[in-house]
Amino acid sequence: MKRHRSVWSLLTILMIFTAYLVFPFQMAHAANDNQLIYDEAGLLSQEDKSELNAMAHEYGAKRETDIIIFTSDNPEGRDVQEMTEDFYDEQAPGYDKAHGNAVILTLDLYHRDIYLAGFYKAKQYLDDGRLDKIREKITPDLTDGDYKLAFEKYIKTTYKYMGYKPDVNPDNIFFNIWFQLGGAVVIGGIVVGIMAYRSGGRVTVSGRTYEDASTSGVLDHQDRYIRTTTTKRKIEKNTGSGSGGGGTTKGGHSHSGSRGSF
Amino acid sequence: MPVIEYKCPNCGSGMVFDSATGMLSCPSCGRKDNIEQIPDPLKQQDFSEDNTQEYHCTSCGAVILTDPETSATTCSFCGSAVVLSDRLTGKLAPAMVIPFAVSKEEAVKAFKKWCRNGLLTPSGFMSADRIKGITGMYVPFWLYELHNHVEVHGHATKVRMYTSGDYEYTETQHFDIYRKIRLNYVKVPIDASEKMNDGLMDKLEPFPYERLKEFKSPYLAGYNAEKYSYDDEALFPRAKDKIREFIEAYIASTVSGYTAVSYTDKQIDTESKQADYCLLPVWMVHYDFRKSNYAFAMNGQTGKVVGKPPISKAKVAAWFAGIFGVSFLSLKLISWMMGGGFL
Ligand SMILES: [Zn+2]
Ligand SMILES: [Zn+2]
Repeated sequence: MKRHRSVWSLLTILMIFTAYLVFPFQMAHAANDNQLIYDEAGLLSQEDKSELNAMAHEYGAKRETDIIIFTSDNPEGRDVQEMTEDFYDEQAPGYDKAHGNAVILTLDLYHRDIYLAGFYKAKQYLDDGRLDKIREKITPDLTDGDYKLAFEKYIKTTYKYMGYKPDVNPDNIFFNIWFQLGGAVVIGGIVVGIMAYRSGGRVTVSGRTYEDASTSGVLDHQDRYIRTTTTKRKIEKNTGSGSGGGGTTKGGHSHSGSRGSF
Repeated sequence: MPVIEYKCPNCGSGMVFDSATGMLSCPSCGRKDNIEQIPDPLKQQDFSEDNTQEYHCTSCGAVILTDPETSATTCSFCGSAVVLSDRLTGKLAPAMVIPFAVSKEEAVKAFKKWCRNGLLTPSGFMSADRIKGITGMYVPFWLYELHNHVEVHGHATKVRMYTSGDYEYTETQHFDIYRKIRLNYVKVPIDASEKMNDGLMDKLEPFPYERLKEFKSPYLAGYNAEKYSYDDEALFPRAKDKIREFIEAYIASTVSGYTAVSYTDKQIDTESKQADYCLLPVWMVHYDFRKSNYAFAMNGQTGKVVGKPPISKAKVAAWFAGIFGVSFLSLKLISWMMGGGFL
């Protein structure tokens, strides 16, 4: 009896664990049919588009956010921020509900402008500063015309940055897994090295051991002030190139934002 | 014949120095003599410079086999403690001695304990059951009294940073500094034996110098002793070298409150006021492990053990893995507390 009970409890734990692992992916699957890539400018092949769509679903589900890409030739020459806001109002995207959590990357091929906007949860986790960082990361690839690579970076970086609490620097070196691994290797090496070095005994005397304090001392000293030099440096204000910041759509949805050109 | 033995006035047996009581004691009848009060046979002996090449044991008559540096040993035939007096007189007369306080049994015990405490030593080594030999040895040292006259000139800066408006200001104050220091060191030991590893001997310090006694030959009875291979003049550069870092540290301690200091001129005149020839107590432990020979030295007063033990690769790997794991988790935890994801 007792043994059976423990086997059952073990199975239950395993089932909960499996469910925990599988469930988020199922949710992602359920939402898989809705479109996240709106490539009106036709920058991507059909194959790339579905690949990016699947990727955006997979990463977005883990952050409960729709990661959207919107490209347009923009023949009317509209403003890229306005385009993004209208897109949000009209398409009503959102992971949790219509007009819900979403981050939108808009490419305006007419002005070659770029705009990133975060709504709701994405607004909280992707403030203007983080969106600036994402934009700076992908702009070189966009300039080179390597759209697919830029969009992949956008999806992955969005996913990564939303994993950090708001208001911390997402590029903090402490968050880097290689820094953590390297740091641990260095600490381990130093500690074991010291242990090995000390295994043969170590010198435990200092000058104090042999100093005759009664006859030793400073006989004469001088600290003569000569001059003072001052240098000044202008404090860099965090004003990214052409950054516009966030705003509110006509439909009343406030968002964070970052604007630039490519 | 320049060989001295210490015969018990009661029973005629050979007496030896006893580290527990600090007296010359007879293992047969238990007689104990206070070394500081009995006359030293070394002083009474009036021997002529006869440049003997051979020493004979006064108990059994056998030839005593010694290295040219040995000044005290035991007869390899009958086990009597013998002191070779011509190697302890004249220029070779020690001024002072610190007798042993750790007995042979205590030394073996302390060594075994030290082996067990080795975190990286192979477990086979830790049982410490392969002690090949343990020898109580009075090692010749020079104790220097060194007077130093130090004069330094330098340039020092104090840096202050502040912001005002859109600018960050760095204000640097420059100073000319000068220090004149008298720095005296006493009883700085430098080992004078050619055989002994200098690094090993340096690690054995400190010896309790308050236990220094005027030299008398009975302290050596039952132990080995060596005469110096280098005189105090020859070792003066090494003594100067040894205190150099002490002096540097002292100078730095007198120049405080600055952001940075650079010395333009540093004059250190070291004068050897006195150098006393002393014998200091060291247990030498020879140890066999996996067909290799390891030599360790133990301070005969404090029991401090020095010497390179073998290192187990497996233990190094295990410790490294453990510390690596803990550090990695700690860094993860720091990252998590700073707001980063845990995975
Ligand atoms: Zn006796
Ligand atoms: Zn003999």
